[in-house]
Amino acid sequence: MLNEWLLSVARFLDAQDWSTQIHESIYLYAWIETTHVLTLMVFLGMLFVIDLRMLGLAFPNVRASTIAERLDKPMMIGLVLMVITGFLLYYAIPVRTTQSLWFRIKVVLIVFAAINAFAFRARMQASVNTWDTDPTPPRHIRMGAAASILLWAGVVVTGRTIAYDWFDCHKELPYAMYWAAGCVDEMAAFASE
Amino acid sequence: MDLYPFFDWLDTSLLADISKAYGGVFAVVQMFHLLGMSVLGGMVLVGDLRLLNVVMRDTPSEIVIENTHKWFGIGLATMIISGIFMSSAVSLKLYYNEMFWAKMSALAVGIAFFYLVRRPLLSVPHEGIRPGVLRLMALTSIAIWFTVAASGRWIGFS
Repeated sequence: MLNEWLLSVARFLDAQDWSTQIHESIYLYAWIETTHVLTLMVFLGMLFVIDLRMLGLAFPNVRASTIAERLDKPMMIGLVLMVITGFLLYYAIPVRTTQSLWFRIKVVLIVFAAINAFAFRARMQASVNTWDTDPTPPRHIRMGAAASILLWAGVVVTGRTIAYDWFDCHKELPYAMYWAAGCVDEMAAFASE
Repeated sequence: MDLYPFFDWLDTSLLADISKAYGGVFAVVQMFHLLGMSVLGGMVLVGDLRLLNVVMRDTPSEIVIENTHKWFGIGLATMIISGIFMSSAVSLKLYYNEMFWAKMSALAVGIAFFYLVRRPLLSVPHEGIRPGVLRLMALTSIAIWFTVAASGRWIGFS
C-alpha cells in the first residue's frame, strides 16, 4: 500500500518537465550535487565539532554549552541547504531513488538521527549546568554524541551507495528485497508466478 | 616530475585488487573520505568563522584556533589515506583527468597554506595582527578548502 503510494508520487514527479530538465542538464545536476557535498561539509563539520566536544575529544577548555549554542546556527544553515539540494537530487531521479533500498535506509537513519538529536538536546539542557566546564561530559551525553556520529556516518555511506545498482528492481532478488526496495511491479510478477 | 610510474604501480597493487573487486569496501572507504573531509571542513570553518567574528565571539580566537589543529590533522590524514585507496580503483584514468589534478593542486595549496602560512601566523597573539589580514586569511582558507571539496566531486563528472 505504502510502496504503491510512494511510487505513484515518484511517477508524478518524474512526469514533470523540471525533473527531466535537471536530470538531463549537462551542468545543473552536477552543480546541485556539488552544493550538496559542500553543505554536507558545513553541516556535518559543525555537528562533528559539537559531538567531539561532547565526547571529550575536542575543545576541552571551552564550555560545552558555548560550543553547542554558538555553532547551532551555522549547522542549521548547512542542514537547510543540504535538505533543499537533497530534495532536488531526489526530484531529478524520483522513481529509481524511491525504489532504492539504500535511499530508504538513508531516510530511516535520518529519522533516527533527528530523534537522537532532539533527545540529546533535551538531556543536555537538563543537566549541562552540572558538567559544562568538565573536559569530559557524563556517560549519557557521550553515548548520545557517539550515536549521532554513527548515525550520520550511516547516512553518508547509504547516500553514497544509492549510486550502486546491486539491489535495483531490475535485478533478480528475493521477494523480501523487492518489498524493502518498493519494487511494486516485480512483487506483483513474483506473486503471479 | 612525471608521476606516471606511481599511478601505474598503484593500478596493479593489492589496493587496486581490493578496490576494484569489492564495491562495498570502496563505499565504506569513501564514507571515511567524506567524514574526514567533514571533520577537516568543520575545524577550518569554526576557526575561520571565528576569525571573521561570525561565531564564538565570546571565546578568544587563539583558543578556538588552537583547538582545531589536532582534528584538522586527523581529518586530513583520513582524507589522504582513504583517497589513495579510492584512487587505486581508477588510477590510470585519474592520471589523465584534469579535474583530479585540479583537486590535487588545490589540496597542495591548502596544506601549504595551513602549515606554512595560517598556523605560524596565528601562533602569536591575534591582537598583534591587523584585522584585515585575519579576515583575508580566513576567507582565503575557506575558499581553498571549498575548492578542494568541489573539485573532488567534479572528478566523478569529468
